[in-house]
Amino acid sequence: MNDEQKIEKLKSMADPAAVAHPAPHRIFVGVEPGKLVALIGRMKAELDQWYVATISGVDKGESYEILYHFGDTSGSITVRTKIPKADPRLPSICGVIPGAVLYERELQDMFGIVVDGIPDPRPMLMPDDWPAGNFPLRKEWKFERPAEVIPGGKK
Amino acid sequence: MLERVIRWSRKKSPWILHLNSGACNACDIEVVAALTPRFDVERLGVLLKATPRHADVIVATGPVTRQLKDRIIRIYEQTPDPKFVIAVGACAMSGCVYRGAYNICGGLDQVIPVNVYIPGCPVRPDAILDGVVKLLNTL
Amino acid sequence: MKFNIPIGPQHPALKEPISIRLTVEGEVIQDADLRLGYNHRGVEKLAEEKSWIQNIYLTERICGICSHSHSTCFVQGAEKLLEIEPPRRGLYLRYLVSELERIHSHLLWLGVAGHEAGFDTFFMYTWRDREVVMDLLEMISGNRVHYAINTLGGVRRDLDEDLRKKILEGLVVLKKRSEYYFKIGASEPTFVGRLAGVGRLTLQQAKDFCAVGPMARASGLARDIRKDDPYAFYNEVEFDVATADTCDVLGRTVVRIKELFESYKICEQILRKLPDGPVAVKAPRKAKPNEVVSRYEAPRGENIHYIISNGTEKPERLKVRAPTLANYPATIEILKHGFIADIPLIFAAIDPCICCAERSVEMIDARSGEERTLRFSDLRRMANERRRTLPLQRNVAWPF
Repeated sequence: MNDEQKIEKLKSMADPAAVAHPAPHRIFVGVEPGKLVALIGRMKAELDQWYVATISGVDKGESYEILYHFGDTSGSITVRTKIPKADPRLPSICGVIPGAVLYERELQDMFGIVVDGIPDPRPMLMPDDWPAGNFPLRKEWKFERPAEVIPGGKK
Repeated sequence: MLERVIRWSRKKSPWILHLNSGACNACDIEVVAALTPRFDVERLGVLLKATPRHADVIVATGPVTRQLKDRIIRIYEQTPDPKFVIAVGACAMSGCVYRGAYNICGGLDQVIPVNVYIPGCPVRPDAILDGVVKLLNTL
Repeated sequence: MKFNIPIGPQHPALKEPISIRLTVEGEVIQDADLRLGYNHRGVEKLAEEKSWIQNIYLTERICGICSHSHSTCFVQGAEKLLEIEPPRRGLYLRYLVSELERIHSHLLWLGVAGHEAGFDTFFMYTWRDREVVMDLLEMISGNRVHYAINTLGGVRRDLDEDLRKKILEGLVVLKKRSEYYFKIGASEPTFVGRLAGVGRLTLQQAKDFCAVGPMARASGLARDIRKDDPYAFYNEVEFDVATADTCDVLGRTVVRIKELFESYKICEQILRKLPDGPVAVKAPRKAKPNEVVSRYEAPRGENIHYIISNGTEKPERLKVRAPTLANYPATIEILKHGFIADIPLIFAAIDPCICCAERSVEMIDARSGEERTLRFSDLRRMANERRRTLPLQRNVAWPF
């Protein structure tokens, strides 16, 4: 089905004002975190969206914006949701799409978002001796590089 | 007398261990491409070995990530003396584009002592050969 | 009785470190677990501090084998944010280098697959032919890997008539050699018998675990970004999507050889239809606040970059998802119910941009606690001997 048919169906599943079509083959849909899993379930059943390309997290100052990028044979639909920084909790979509588990683990490592219901909550990317509570992709987290030692050279 | 034979064999046929410490793979493919028929390093006696206990020379690529730091030190200690370390590529020399990242120690010489540096991004297989020969000439 | 076997991360021959822990019972793997993070370099955080042009060189170095695909995916997105369009000749040259990179990557993979199956002569042959492609790329761009030919608004170097003829001649040589490899596959029963039936991934599993690239296409799923979501001029170029329906490592080999032939076809069409004109336009320094999703078909699967700009000359957020990461859940699923002897082949068949040919495997006896260390080359030798004693599957057809 092409873009117009998809937009029609999405307007019936979610808030019509939150559906955007900025470029050919690209559709963006906004949704509340509470209704996220239901919308994705409906998209999988009615629009045949079983493929999640990746899940991106963006630090927007007071809140995090999470984007779920789907893809199929005629373009890409992106579902976006916002969660507050003071209480970063997100429901997991692994019940609907099992392949999304690694992307949710990455969100946990990089931003400190807690994903409820994830089948495998271990940290994925950080080394074993990484101090807890440090989430690199938050905007306020800065890194000071330690001084370099030049062997046999000037200090 | 035996000393001279040992030194001659070590100089004429070094066995190398290839170590990848978090690199992007470009230098690693060039190290393996040095074995293929065009550059063919095996005719000079250089063998790629799978374990540090058999190796004379460690050829290391990549900026050192934090997760691998302890393991590299352990591999260095497992290699029997006398051993030499060659840092291949701009990443192993000083970190290349990744300088300043939170997971990088910045260059191999922050972790283990290095004998030869070979610049390039990535290094050509003939340059790797040239570096190994320069190292052996100092023996 | 169950044993736990850790594999990795020490990696003497090739590619990046990764650690797998397997729980085995006898020879059958019950459970597998991956530990990533040995190669985590913090590229996404670094990209927020570099300008648009500097980010081209940073994204190139995310991977060495598919460096042009990351750089092109980023530049596609950045050009949409900066609202510029590269000229036709620049586009054609950029995607010519893409297809040449696909050829070099598949030849590299064929060599690795041959090495893992015990066929070292095949490894040497394919890597010798790969040198033809590396020479062509060096003539076009100046370097064998990390071509750095992209810039915002086009490409940095032009092609003259002489070089165009040389590339066409090189393609003729490569085509002849690839047909020879195809014949080896059809007439070498031990090679085909070694690969058949190993590492099965059914169509439903490929859909559940969101597999991409040749791994999904070997299970019959015809997904290719060049056809689904065509970027640049791919809707004007004639080619087919290569699929196979045997769902195992043999299918993945067949898909990659088919893709080699499709790439030769595309390269010839590009070279014959190359338009005249400039190769780049001037790009502004700052981008208006906007966001873009950029998708690209790398040799290993779908590469997706998500970029946000905020009106300055640095991006606000760059999110990269490389194709091999998407294949990991499917790999874990394949490893369960497989044999230890098949681990090197299964891992090589996902064409990992993170894997390795030589590691040492530590076997820990659960009862007595003693450790035995095996080298991966020993494991491979054990695997080959075991296969030699099994009855040969005589009626396996080369599914072409």
